[in-house]
Amino acid sequence: MVLTSDNTSRRVMTLYMGTGLALTALMMFAGLMLRASQAGWMPMSPGQFYAVLTLHGAVVIVALMLCGMGGLWILMRRLTSLSASTALIAYACIAAGAAAVIAATLFGGFAGLYTFLAPLPFYGSWPYWSTGAFLIGMSLITIGWMAWCMQMLGAVLRAYGGALGALAWDFVWHRKAFDASGRPLPPPEAFPALMAGFDGMLAGMSAMLLGVALIVRWIDARVLINPLWAKNLTYFFAHTYANLIIYMLAALIYVGLPYATGRKYHTSTALVVGWWCSMLLTLTNYFHHLYMDFVQPGSFQYLGELSSYLSAVPVTVVTIFSALMLVWRSGMKWTLGAIFMYTGLIGWVVGGIGAEIDATVPFNTHLHNTLWVPAHFHTYLVGGCVLFAVGWVFLCLESRSIRRTGTLMRWAVGLLTFGGMAVFLMGFYCAGAYGAPRRYAIEPPPGPELAKIASIGATVMIIGFALVFAEGVRLRFGYPDGDATMRIGQEVEA
Amino acid sequence: MSVAVKLLVMFLVLANAAIAIFLAVAYSTHHPVREQHDVPQRGYSIRGRWFLVLVLCLIASFAASIPFYPYMSATSALGPARKVPVIAEQYAFIMPSRLPVGKAIIFEVTSRDVNHDFGIYNPQGHLIAQVQAMPDYTNYLRVIFHEPGQYTARCLEYCGIGHAIMAKTFTVGDK
Repeated sequence: MVLTSDNTSRRVMTLYMGTGLALTALMMFAGLMLRASQAGWMPMSPGQFYAVLTLHGAVVIVALMLCGMGGLWILMRRLTSLSASTALIAYACIAAGAAAVIAATLFGGFAGLYTFLAPLPFYGSWPYWSTGAFLIGMSLITIGWMAWCMQMLGAVLRAYGGALGALAWDFVWHRKAFDASGRPLPPPEAFPALMAGFDGMLAGMSAMLLGVALIVRWIDARVLINPLWAKNLTYFFAHTYANLIIYMLAALIYVGLPYATGRKYHTSTALVVGWWCSMLLTLTNYFHHLYMDFVQPGSFQYLGELSSYLSAVPVTVVTIFSALMLVWRSGMKWTLGAIFMYTGLIGWVVGGIGAEIDATVPFNTHLHNTLWVPAHFHTYLVGGCVLFAVGWVFLCLESRSIRRTGTLMRWAVGLLTFGGMAVFLMGFYCAGAYGAPRRYAIEPPPGPELAKIASIGATVMIIGFALVFAEGVRLRFGYPDGDATMRIGQEVEA
Repeated sequence: MSVAVKLLVMFLVLANAAIAIFLAVAYSTHHPVREQHDVPQRGYSIRGRWFLVLVLCLIASFAASIPFYPYMSATSALGPARKVPVIAEQYAFIMPSRLPVGKAIIFEVTSRDVNHDFGIYNPQGHLIAQVQAMPDYTNYLRVIFHEPGQYTARCLEYCGIGHAIMAKTFTVGDK
C-alpha cells in the first residue's frame, strides 16, 4: 500500500477539499437561515432572502465541485502526470470567481439565483454592477473548471494511449489482442476522470458561451438573447456540473471502499460499458428540466425522460452493486470513514429515486419547481456527495492516526447527522408532494409548518456535523511523529 | 388518495426498499468473513437479473407514462376549446377572473419580461397543471376544470424578489 508520500499531491488535495468542505459548512448555515426564514423564525426581507439563496446555490455547487476536483486529482496523480501548477492556477481562477459571486450577492444584493435564467439578471432590483460581478465571477469559475478538465483529460489520454485506450475500447471488443498487447488497463477511478474531463469540457464550453452572451448583454442592453436558447444552455451546463460532482466524488468509492473492506475493485467489462453509458446519458438527460416548456421540440421531452431513466442503470447495476459486493461479508470495520462512504451510497440512491420520480413527465406536472426539486438534490448532495468527501477525509485521517473513534461517538454522530438529515429532507419531500413552490420567501400553507420541522432537522444535522469536525481534529492530533505517509489506496507502481 | 399522497407513498416504498438492502448488506459484515473470490459468482448472477428487471421496469414505466404527457396533440389543438390568453409580468398574471366548468380551455401563456411559470392550484390547494410563461414564446396548456370553485394561479419560476407574491385567484363556474 503506497499512496502517498507525495507531499505536493496531499497539499493540492487539502487545498481543494479543505476549501470545499469549509464553504459547504458555511453554506449549511446559510441554508438553515433560509429554512428558518420560511418557517417565520428568522425575519429576512425578500431581497435578503433571494440574495442569500443565490449565494447558497452558487457556492454549494462550487464547494462540492472543489471537493470532487481535489479528490479525483490526488487519485489520478498517482497514475498520470498532473501538474500542480495547473491545479493551482485553476484553483486561483475558481477562488477569484467565488469571491466575485460572494461580493455580488452579499454586498450587491444580486438575487438572480444561481441559475440566472436570462433575461432575469437584467430585470432585477439590484444594482447593475452586481449583475456584472456575478456574471464575471461565474465565468472565472468556469475558466478554472475548464483548465482543470483539460489537464485531467490530457493526462488520462496520455496515460492510456489516446481516446480508445482511455475508454478501454479494445479491452471490451478485442480482449485477446488487448491482453497480448500488454497495454495498461485504466483502473476504475480513471473512468470518472475521463468523464469529468470530457463532459466537463462540453459543459464548460456551453457555460462560457452563455456567460459571454450575458456579459455582452450586460454591456450593451440592445443585444437580444433568445430565452429558450439560454434556458437550454443554462440547464445543460448546470445539470452536467451537478452530475459530474457526484461522479467525481463517486470515484473516491473505488479507492476508499477497497481500503475499508480489504478487497480489490478491478476494471471489468460491465464497469467500462457502464461508464460509457454514463458519459453519454449525462449529456442528454438535462432535458427533464424543460418539460414544462411546451415550445421545446417534443422529441427532446421523450429523450429527456428515457435518458433520465436509463442513467439509473449504470449507477445501480455497476457502481452501487459492485460496492455492495465489496462490503458483503467483508468483515469491514465500521469506522466513521467507512460509515460515511457507505451511507453516501444510500443518499445517492435515495436522491436518485426522488429524481427519477420527478423526471417522469406526468409526475413533473405536479412536482416541477416545487420543493420536491431541492428535496432530491439535497438528498444526493448532502446525503451523498458531502458524505463521500467527509468519508474520504476520515479514511485518510484514520489511516494515519493512532487514535480510534469510540462506539459512543460513532452512534452520536450517526443519530444526529443522519437522523437530522432525514427529518430535514422529509420536510422538503412532503412540502414538494403537496405542491409547495420552491424559491418562495414566504410560503403558502403547509410550507411554513413543514419548514419548522425541516429547520429543526437541519439544526440537529449541523450539530452532528460539528461533532464530526471535532472528531476529525482529534484524529488529526493523533498522527505519530515523523510519519508522512498516507496509507490509503490500492497499490500503485511507483 | 390525492396525487401528493400517492407520490409520497411511491417514494417512501422505493426509498425504504433500497435502504433495507443496504442495511442487510451492512449487517452481513457481522457474519463470518468470506474471501473475495467466493463472492462474485453469486453476485454476478444476481446483478444480471437485476439489470434485466431494472431495464424492463424502466422501459415499461416510460411507455406507460407517454399517454399522460401534457403536451397537446394536433387533434386536441384543433378541437373545440375556449382560448384564454394569459400574460405574465413581474409580479402579476393578466387573465380573466371567471372561467367555465367542464369545458376544454386552452391557456395561451406568454410573458412580457422574464421567465415565469403558470401553475394552477385547485380549491384544495393541490397543483393540477402548469406551464412555463416565456418572453417571445407562447405555450399552450389544455385544461378542463371538473370542479367549480376558487382556483389560484401561482408563479413557479423564480422571477425576481416579488416572486412569492405573484398569484391570481379566479373562479371556475358560477359560484
